[in-house]
Amino acid sequence: MKNSWLLALREFKERWNNRSFRWMLVLGPLLIVGSVYFLLESGNQGVSTMKVLIADPADLMEGKILSNPSENVSYYFYDDYIEMESFKTSPKFQEFGALIEVNEKVLINKKAFLFYRSAPSLALKMKLKFDVERRIEEVMVAQFTSLSEEDFRRIKQPLNVDFRDVEDPYSQFNQEISWVGFTLGYIMMFFIAVFGTNITRSINREKSNRISEVLLASVRPHHLMMGKIGGNWLASMLQLVLWMFIVGIGLLVLQQFIIPDYFTPEYLQGVQVSGQQMKELGFDTAVQQNDQVNLVYHRINYGLLLPHFLLFFLGTYWVFASLFTVMGAVSGDASDGQQFGIPVWLLLAASIFAGYNAMAFPDSSLTYFFTYFPWTAGMVAMVKLAVGVSTPQYFSLLLALLLQIVIGIFLVVFAGRIFKNGILSYDHRNSWKLLMQWIKKE
Amino acid sequence: MIEVSELSKVFHHKVALDDVTFTIPSGSVFGLIGPNGAGKTTLIRTMNQILKPSKGTIKYRGVSLNAVHVRSFGYLPEERGLYREMQVLEHLIFLGQIRGLTKNEAKNAANLWLEKFGALPWSNRKISALSKGMAQKIQFIGSVLHHPEVIILDEPLSGFDPINVDLLLEEIKGFKVQGKTVIFSTHNMNSVDELCDEAALIDQGKLVANDRVSKLRSNHKTGNFKVRFRGSKIAFAHALWTWFELIECLELSEGIYEAIIKSRGGYQFNEVFSRLSDAVQLELIEEQLPVCMTFF
Repeated sequence: MKNSWLLALREFKERWNNRSFRWMLVLGPLLIVGSVYFLLESGNQGVSTMKVLIADPADLMEGKILSNPSENVSYYFYDDYIEMESFKTSPKFQEFGALIEVNEKVLINKKAFLFYRSAPSLALKMKLKFDVERRIEEVMVAQFTSLSEEDFRRIKQPLNVDFRDVEDPYSQFNQEISWVGFTLGYIMMFFIAVFGTNITRSINREKSNRISEVLLASVRPHHLMMGKIGGNWLASMLQLVLWMFIVGIGLLVLQQFIIPDYFTPEYLQGVQVSGQQMKELGFDTAVQQNDQVNLVYHRINYGLLLPHFLLFFLGTYWVFASLFTVMGAVSGDASDGQQFGIPVWLLLAASIFAGYNAMAFPDSSLTYFFTYFPWTAGMVAMVKLAVGVSTPQYFSLLLALLLQIVIGIFLVVFAGRIFKNGILSYDHRNSWKLLMQWIKKE
Repeated sequence: MIEVSELSKVFHHKVALDDVTFTIPSGSVFGLIGPNGAGKTTLIRTMNQILKPSKGTIKYRGVSLNAVHVRSFGYLPEERGLYREMQVLEHLIFLGQIRGLTKNEAKNAANLWLEKFGALPWSNRKISALSKGMAQKIQFIGSVLHHPEVIILDEPLSGFDPINVDLLLEEIKGFKVQGKTVIFSTHNMNSVDELCDEAALIDQGKLVANDRVSKLRSNHKTGNFKVRFRGSKIAFAHALWTWFELIECLELSEGIYEAIIKSRGGYQFNEVFSRLSDAVQLELIEEQLPVCMTFF
C-alpha cells in the first residue's frame, strides 16, 4: 500500500510538473466564468436608447403606444409610407435611430419591419417588440372581437399543466434542474475521459521507456496499477475542486460586483414589463435568461449535489480507470490499443445517453437499469439527485454507489491480470485472443 | 543461498524453462550464460517474482522465496528505462523509497553513489538531459542504492559504453569483496572468466551445465583455437603440420589472417604458440569456447 502511495504521488507530481496542467487549473475555470459573463453581457451590447419613427400610413396605431413611457425609447409617428432609401439618406429622418414600418397588412400577416442605423441592445429590442406587438394586439382585439382587453389577456394565458408523480405528488419535477444534474454528470464524464486518457498515456510512456520492469521488480503489478489510478485521481480531484471553487467564487463576484443588475427581477425593468407578462407575450429569451440566473443562484441544492457529485465521481472514476489501465497495458506501443479503446468510449457515450434518458424517461426500465449499471450510475445519480429523490430512491442510489465500488474491485483484479501480463509485452500484435489468455493466466 | 529446483515456465504451450535446477552459493558471482531466447531473462524474472513458475521452487536462505526477500534484492533488468521528466536525484530517491528506504536514507545513498560515479553535478538535471552513458550509470545506481544482499544483473554489459563496462565490472568486483551475491547474465565470456566463480549454461530453456567457470571451460573444451597472424598463409598451413587441422582462414586485411584450427592430439595453448611462432607473426591466440558459449 505504501508503494502504491509512492507511485500515486509520483504520478501526481508528473501531472503537476506539466505546465499546461497548472495553467489549466486556473485558466479553465476563469474561461468558464468569462464565458458566463460574455453570455450575459452579450445581451446588453448595442444601442440602449433610441428615437423611433413609426411609419403607419393606415393609422392603425392611432398615433399612440400605450405602454408606460420609457427613458430609453421615444416614439414618433408618420402617417405615410417611407422608402427605406429615403429614411437612410433624408436629413429630416436622420435624428431617428430606427424606422418601424406598420402597414395595413400587418393585421393579416402579423409582420412588421424595423430598420435600424445601429443595432439596439437585447433589452431595447425586447422593449420595441413588446411595445409594438402589444399595441397591434389591442387594435386586433378591438377590430376582430367584442372582448375587453383584460378578458383577452386572461384567455391568452396558457394552461399550466403541472406533472406530478402519484407516489410523490409534492415533488416538483423540473426540466431545468434535471439539466443541472445532467451537466454535472457530463462534467464528471469529461474529467474521467481526460484523466483516464492520461492513465493510458502514462502506461504507454512507461512501456515505451522500459521502466515498467524496474518498477515490477520492486512492486506488485496491482500496486503499480493502483498507483496510476490513485495519482491521476488526485490530479483530477485537485482540478475538479479548484475549478468548482474558482467558478463558484467567480459567479459570486459576477453577481455581487460586476453585473449585479442581471441577477435581480429589476433586470427586466429596462423594458418596464414583468417576466410573467413577457412570458405571456412569448418573449422567452429574456425570461429564460432570468430563469437561468435564478436557477444557478437560487434553485440548485449545492449542499446535496456537490458531496454526492464527489462520491459518484470516485465510484465512476474507479470503474472506468481500471479499463483505461487495461487499454494502456495491452498496447504494443503508444499508438496502439485503439481497438481496445472502443468499448471504453462506448461506455462513456452510454453514460451520456443514460443521463439524457433519465431526464426524459425518469421511470423507464432502461433508466432503472442505468441506475445500477456501474458505468452509467454516476450520471443517472446526478440527474436524479438534481431533480430530487425520495428516501427509497436515495437508498437505491447509495446501493448503486456500493455496486460501483464492489464491481470496481473485481475489475481491478481482472485488469490487474491483463496489466501484469501486458506491461512486460512490447511491440506485440494486439488481439482479443491474447487479451483473453492474459485474463485467464495467473 | 539461492536454490533453484526443478523450475519450469510455460507460456501458451511454449516451454521457456524446462526443469532447471542449480544452486547459487552465498557471496559468489554467478554467471548465467546462454544464447538469445535461451530462457535467461525468464529465469531472472522468475527469481524476481515478476513471473510465477509453472512448476518448481526457488529457495532463499533455506526458505521459499517471497516478496520480502525480493524487495531486498537489487535488479538491473535487460530492458532498462527511467522517467525522462524526473530529476536525477528525485528519481533515485523514488527508486530507493520503493525498495524500502526512507527518503533521507535514499537521498544519502544516492548522493554517495553519484559522487562515486562523478555524477553529483547532474543530480538536479532532468533524466532527458543526460547522455546515454550517464543514464546508464543512473540506472545501475538505482538498482544497488538500497544496499542489496543479492544483486541480479540481466545483461548488464549490453548497451553500456566501454568506459561504463569497466566501471561496472569494477563495482561487481567490489560487491564480491563485500560478500554480496551477484547473479548476472552476459554475452561477454571474458567477463565471466574474469568475475564469475560459478556459471550455469542454459540453452532452449534447459540447463546444459552448471559448475565452476574453470571447470566448465575444461569440461566443454572443443580443442579449437582462433589464431590471428601476419605473414604467409602457406607458411601458416605448413606449420600446422599434422598436429592441427585448419578449419577456416579469412584474410582480414592485406597480409593479416584469422584462422580457426582444431587440435588433433589434445595440444594446448603453449603447443599452438611454439608450433606457429616461427612460421608467422602471431597477434592473437584464443581458445574457442564450449558449444553453448559460441552463440555469443
